[in-house]
Order: sequence, then structure tokens, then C-alpha cells
Amino acid sequence: MKPRILAAAFLLAALPAFAQSATQWALVQSTLSYHMSHPLHQVDGVSHAAKGKGVCSNGECDFLVAAPVKSFNSGDSNRDLHMLEATRGADFPMVVVRARFPQSELSSPTIYADLEVQFAGQTAHYANVPFQRAAQGSDMRIVGTVPSTCSDFRIDRPSFLGIAIANEIPVRVDAIWHFQ
Amino acid sequence: MRMGAAKIALGVGVLLSAFLMPNPLRAQTNTPAPQQAPAKQTSPTSSQSLPSAPAPQAPSLQDLGFSKEQMQANPKLQARLDKHTHMLKIHQRLGLITAAPMIADLITGPMAKAKGKNGQTIMEPTSANIDLHAALGSTTAALYFTTASFAIFAPRIQGVKKRGAIRVHEALAFIHGPGMVLTPILGAMAFKQEQDGEKVHGIASAHGAVAYTTAIAYGTAIVAISWPIHLKFWEKR
Repeated sequence: MKPRILAAAFLLAALPAFAQSATQWALVQSTLSYHMSHPLHQVDGVSHAAKGKGVCSNGECDFLVAAPVKSFNSGDSNRDLHMLEATRGADFPMVVVRARFPQSELSSPTIYADLEVQFAGQTAHYANVPFQRAAQGSDMRIVGTVPSTCSDFRIDRPSFLGIAIANEIPVRVDAIWHFQ
Repeated sequence: MRMGAAKIALGVGVLLSAFLMPNPLRAQTNTPAPQQAPAKQTSPTSSQSLPSAPAPQAPSLQDLGFSKEQMQANPKLQARLDKHTHMLKIHQRLGLITAAPMIADLITGPMAKAKGKNGQTIMEPTSANIDLHAALGSTTAALYFTTASFAIFAPRIQGVKKRGAIRVHEALAFIHGPGMVLTPILGAMAFKQEQDGEKVHGIASAHGAVAYTTAIAYGTAIVAISWPIHLKFWEKR
């Protein structure tokens, strides 16, 4: 009986190792900006309202960032309302980005993440998207661009004076994460 | 015998812990990242056919602390937005169409006016010129008020603070709106005075000036809503 208890105790003692290995990150500051291109206009819509959390364990990191679609400000309320309509922002009020990458990349200057972006009622996947990582004390700054397009999310491209905007709507991510 | 069993159990325990522990610990070592392929975009998929489910430890949307209102779909608002955009698209289209008869009316204006100074023979305009000018004016007014109605009756979206070009665009309506009401009235007064053999006088003589002011304010409103303009036609689309 004793050896069984001993073995069980040993296994139980090994369990905390899992808990200790998991690390968590919280998004403390962020700037998400989409770029829209039209022959007459170059527009950037910016949001600082994103929230995020990252969990690393078992050699994998899963980061989640979300922002309300209506929080993007392009400097023109009329255009923002049109964007909200075109992206079905009231039916699908959040843009959600899930990133997964090897935990080992947390110490490298470039993180290559597989992204899953939920936006406008659609989900798009982007593989090996590079993000620049820079340490800032106990925080880390992640900067990169999601190469999204209107067609990825089946968005009918808005037009102005009969000319539609460019299909590409790259989203630049600049986020500061705090180690918890 | 019992000691032997204890040793086996201990050995199994050590082996198990050795298999279970290393992965998370190894992952935190500073090993260089392997060379990665450049960013590559996969084809979009609908949410019904996700290729990979999130890991059990992956954070969820509920962890982020957004309020229920922020995350909840609002079909009524979407319907209002759809109608709002639809009506403003018609407003934009009709607004541009209206500019055509407005410009033509400005061009035909001097042709519908009696010419001649005091003491000289007055040259009356032909009735064809007057009719054309009046017809263009009526068309402009009809299109203008139809255009305006699509902006006025477009559903308002609550909680939106107006920013940017739309403020100038709307402010200019306080000039061209009254102008579009006054111009035909003054035009009719001027026409009546000329028909009565009088020289156009009084407030009716301001018909041309009011028309030009209205047209300039209208044109500025079109440019204002398009501002700032960054011409980039040469970019690959």
C-alpha cells in the first residue's frame, strides 16, 4: 500500500510544475489602425479600445485581442458610420484576433504567428505573420501588420464617386503587453 | 519484496514526472527561433468550418472584460445603418446629378435677361431662352429638394458625435438651402417685372447674385465632403 501512496504523492508533487510553467500576459496599451486606400483618399482608422490576454503553456502561446468595431475613428463620423454598415458592425460588433506561436519565440526579435481573425461575421486565417517584438522592462511591445483584405471577410467594398476602395485593408497592430 | 515494489513505484514515478515536466520547462529556455517562411495568407473560411479549435488554456473573449452590450449583436441598429447608408448613397448620387442642370442654369441665366442701359434700347430676351432657363431652374430645384430629402430623412444613429468633413458639408446647407428657395422666387419676380415692361428692381434684382452664391455654396459642399483629397490614381489597384 505504501509504495502506491508514495507513487501517487510523487505524481501529485509533479503537477505544480504545469501551473508554474504557464505564463500570462495582459494587454496594457494598444493602437490598432486599418488603412483604406481610394484614388481620392488615403484613410487610417484608429482604435485604442482593444483588450487582450495571452497565455503560454506547454510550449505554445495563445494570444487574444479584441476591439469593438465602432471604436475605430477615421476622423470623419460619416465615414465611420459607413464603415460600420459595410462591415456589419452592429450585427458583429467585435473584431477578434487569435494568435498562436511557439513559446520559444517570446525571446526572439520576430514572432511568426498564425492568426485567426473574426470580423464582419467571417473568419480568416493568416499563417506566419511576422510581428516585431521589443522588450520594455517587464513589458513587451509587439508591432506588426495583418494583411487583411475586404474579400477575406466578404465585405462589399464601399465606393466614392463610383470608384470602390482598394481591396487591401492592412491592419497595423502596436501593442504593449505586461507580464503577469 | 515490499522494498522491491517500492523501488519500482518510485522508478515509475520518476519516469512519469520526467516525461510530464520537461515540455513546459524546456519551452522557456532562450533557444533561437527557427527560420520561418514569410507571411502567407490562407483563404478565408466561414466560422462554421474552423480548421483548428483553440487550445484549452487559450483565453476567451469573456476573459477580456468587455460589457455584454459591447459584445451583443444589435440587428435593429444594423437595419438603421443599412437604411442610413442606402439613403445617403442616393443623396450623393442625386447631389452630383443636380450639379449638371445647376451649372447649365447659371450659363443660361445671362441669356434670359433683358439687356440695355438707361436711355438705350432694351433688348428683350427670347422666350425660348427664358423658357430654357426656367425649365433648367425648375429641374434644378426639384432635384435639389429630392436630394436634400434623402439626407434629411435618413435615420439618425444615436450616440454619434459628428466629426470631420460632414460638419462643413452640413453647415453649407444653411447657405445653399435658403438660396435654393429664394432663387426661383426672385427669378419669378424679375420675370414678372420684365413682362410688365419694368426694369428689374428691388429684391428681384438680387436673383443672379443669390443664384451664384447658392451654386458656389453647393459646389463647396460637394468638395468639402470629399476633403481631404489625396490623388493617387497611379497606385496599382
